Amino acid sequence: MSHEVLEFDGISTGLLEKGKADGAETIWDRQAAMKAKCGFGDKGICCRICAMGPCRISPVEGKGAQRGLCGATADTIVARNFARMVCGGASAHSDHARDIAHVMHIANKEGNYKVKDVGKLMNLAKEWGVNTDDREPNDIAHEIAEIALNEFGKPFGVQRLLVRAPEQRQKIWKDLKIEPRAIDREIATLMHSTHIGCASDAESILDLCMRTSLADGWGGSWIGTELSDIMFGVPTARGTEANLGVIEENMVNIMVHGHDPSFSEMVVLAAEDPELLALAKEMGAAGINLVGMCCTGNEVTMRHGVKIAGNFYQQELAIMTGAMEAVMVDVQCIFPALAKLADVYHTQFISTSPKAKMEGSIYIEFEEDHALDICKKIVRGAVENFKNRDKEKVMIPEAKNSAVVGYSVETVIQHLDKVVNSQTDVFNTVKPLSDVIWAGVLRGAVGIVGCNNPQVEHDKSHITIMKELIKNDIIVVTTGCAAQAAAKAGLMTMEAKELCGRGLKEVCERVGIPPILHMGSCVDISRILDIVSRVAIERGLDNSDLPVTGVAPEWMSEKAVSIGTYVVSSGINTYLGVTPQVTGSEYFVDLLTNKLEEKVGAKFIFEEDPVECARLMMEDIEAKRDKLGI
Amino acid sequence: MNLFKIIYSGKDQYLDLAESMVKKIIEEKGRDAQVKFPSTAYSLPVIYAITGEKISTTGELEKALELAKEFIHEGNRLQDALDAGTASAMLAEIIEAVKYTMEEEPYKAPLQGHLTDAQIRAFGVPLVTQDIPGVAVIIGKCKDSETAAEIIKDYQAKGLLTFMVGEVIDQAIEQNVKMGIDLRVIPLGYEIESVIHVVSVAIRASLIFGAVEPGDFEAHKKYTKDRVKAFVNVFDDWDDKIIAAGAAAIELGFPAVTETFINEVPTLLLHQPNNEKVVETSLEVRNIKIKVTKIDIPVGVASAFEGERIRKND
Repeated sequence: MSHEVLEFDGISTGLLEKGKADGAETIWDRQAAMKAKCGFGDKGICCRICAMGPCRISPVEGKGAQRGLCGATADTIVARNFARMVCGGASAHSDHARDIAHVMHIANKEGNYKVKDVGKLMNLAKEWGVNTDDREPNDIAHEIAEIALNEFGKPFGVQRLLVRAPEQRQKIWKDLKIEPRAIDREIATLMHSTHIGCASDAESILDLCMRTSLADGWGGSWIGTELSDIMFGVPTARGTEANLGVIEENMVNIMVHGHDPSFSEMVVLAAEDPELLALAKEMGAAGINLVGMCCTGNEVTMRHGVKIAGNFYQQELAIMTGAMEAVMVDVQCIFPALAKLADVYHTQFISTSPKAKMEGSIYIEFEEDHALDICKKIVRGAVENFKNRDKEKVMIPEAKNSAVVGYSVETVIQHLDKVVNSQTDVFNTVKPLSDVIWAGVLRGAVGIVGCNNPQVEHDKSHITIMKELIKNDIIVVTTGCAAQAAAKAGLMTMEAKELCGRGLKEVCERVGIPPILHMGSCVDISRILDIVSRVAIERGLDNSDLPVTGVAPEWMSEKAVSIGTYVVSSGINTYLGVTPQVTGSEYFVDLLTNKLEEKVGAKFIFEEDPVECARLMMEDIEAKRDKLGI
Repeated sequence: MNLFKIIYSGKDQYLDLAESMVKKIIEEKGRDAQVKFPSTAYSLPVIYAITGEKISTTGELEKALELAKEFIHEGNRLQDALDAGTASAMLAEIIEAVKYTMEEEPYKAPLQGHLTDAQIRAFGVPLVTQDIPGVAVIIGKCKDSETAAEIIKDYQAKGLLTFMVGEVIDQAIEQNVKMGIDLRVIPLGYEIESVIHVVSVAIRASLIFGAVEPGDFEAHKKYTKDRVKAFVNVFDDWDDKIIAAGAAAIELGFPAVTETFINEVPTLLLHQPNNEKVVETSLEVRNIKIKVTKIDIPVGVASAFEGERIRKND
């Protein structure tokens, strides 16, 4: 079986062959069955928003249908489809954040959930004007949670966290009337505007997209990160391992997959339960081996060093090792195919969220009120399932790499403090970072985020771009499946400094960091917005002035569309390694890749070749530097 | 402010000067005149350590220029800028070598200029064992003589070896700061190129005490960074040549602290406008820790005064 998209991944081939023998079906089988993609959908010119349709517009101008039945043009249809992707993405991130706010609201001394980082809670309380005098942290947390929950549906005002942006940026948003108000409102409004017979002006739809996406980045996602840190601790630098080789042959393997840390945090506790560990020994296992996948994997690796089994495209492969007793999932980016695949093995596929009941799964509803008990129950089931493992079907690839993870903004700043001279500077700022960028020691910084996508070779674009950038003294911050690609490739080790240019190497040595910093999950892209804005504010500039870019080399989800849009709206040029489904409208492509720059000082760039993409980003960064005279 | 452009501009100035001086000496003395610094077994020590090549005649100075030019490539990566620093150091050594070829004694007392191998051996061991806790290189001119004297005496009292380049020498003389190798206060010369004589000290420490092979520049850099606790203080306005020399210092592991604003690079290039804090800033940035038991007596007490001679008139 040859899979072009897996060529870059040396370890999967054997597993796929074994899987075929086992009778497993994978994403690549389904991709083959899909054959050629529908050209209309691929170009974004198929519209299904009312029952007069489906309508499709001819991709050739002047030939065939030029308008839908309602009269919508290709421009309108492409813009509306794009907008609904933004809505999908923003809603996913925001609902994730809402859950964490609810968990925060039930925090109490005796329960499963309590405030872990009182300092961060106090900072937010101060920022939000919450009285902290003589109050118990959980009590303050309840008020903060309520304020946060109101951010989703408050009737008046704009998102509270916008004030963390440089003033120039805030003014741009205000002038363009794209300051996000309540999060849910923006999503609902944009769904409204894209209804039949509502907005048809593509440019105005894109403005609304920006507003909705900003409600994600500067609202939902940021609230999610902020509250997760308060409840579960601010990540600090720690070691871990990544790739399928972290699955242990002699242990009970449990994979936690999905996104929500209020679930995975409890799974971590459950997997450490002495009673369950004893049970595992009784079953003949050496212990319980919890491994993570996708963003929930990122959450628990950032805070607990839980090993990373892999990223998005490897979720099936993890089960196909035959050594996975249970896969516990919550929400987002979970293949529905896992249910059928798990049946081929002894693996228990357990869905837990009422928002994501999965056909063919064992459904055990996760209720925050007795979260730990439920997780223990699931883990117990997994331990008991160890005896059902078919040893003949086990094949664990040996590949794994060590990685240092846990670089929250707070941890980055702590590391930067190491190079601060107490006689010339103050501690606890991003000045050292801005200094090395201004001096040219680092040319700039790039945020690499996003998914895997079988349209491109898995991880190849991530890794190629990362290596090109660090070789050229550009520091990389990363989240999500891109981060996991780096961890697997060994790029998150201190030794990876040897792959860097002299400038980045010196910075890594002196600050004591790897050249690629794992900043967390996809909601944690708010951490990247945070650090970029801090540097801009430090220099009295706007984000769009800085020599920084964002890139999603292998993106696939609607969340990635929302992320890309809020990053651009925040003033950061964003490169996409997979062309979005917008090419049916030259006008909309021009808006995204050109005209947006006049409005928000940043734009999208589509470039599928990773080497060329890295080159363009470096050119972009140098142009920004020239403009600044640095 | 494009820091790399400043370095490249400084490097260009060294190159122009070195080229014209080499041309001039060849015109005056032919190609076979002997080129050497006094009493050293290491030819032109900086060039010898970096490239493994010994330069011994005026004709060979052209080759030395070519060796320096190999480090010139004006890109926008740190290594490009540091290489320009290395080239600057090599060019400064060529310029100084020409001075020593032109005249018997280009530096007259109290100026030191080149240090002989014997002089280096005298303080070399305590330097690399860090009994001399550090080496301060002061460049430029302090805002007044009193400040200059205070800073120099502070370093001296802490046992550091202090080299001076520029008008700070006159300021020290004006304040009757006692100087000499024994006293660990050494006035090198007035022109920035004379700073190469302290670079030569560091690099010869690597050759002599570190027994690092000539030509193994990476190993020399590691030795100087780890073992020679030197740093640079620049007073008054810096110019491009000083910054290019600073890049050479940084490549050897020596940070620089400037009084006039410059784009800072944490741990390598710092701006310290407050003269009262320059000593502490420098010691911290070079990670020099001195445990001092202060004895409350009206004169300075330090190992730096060990070689002091009391003259009749004193």
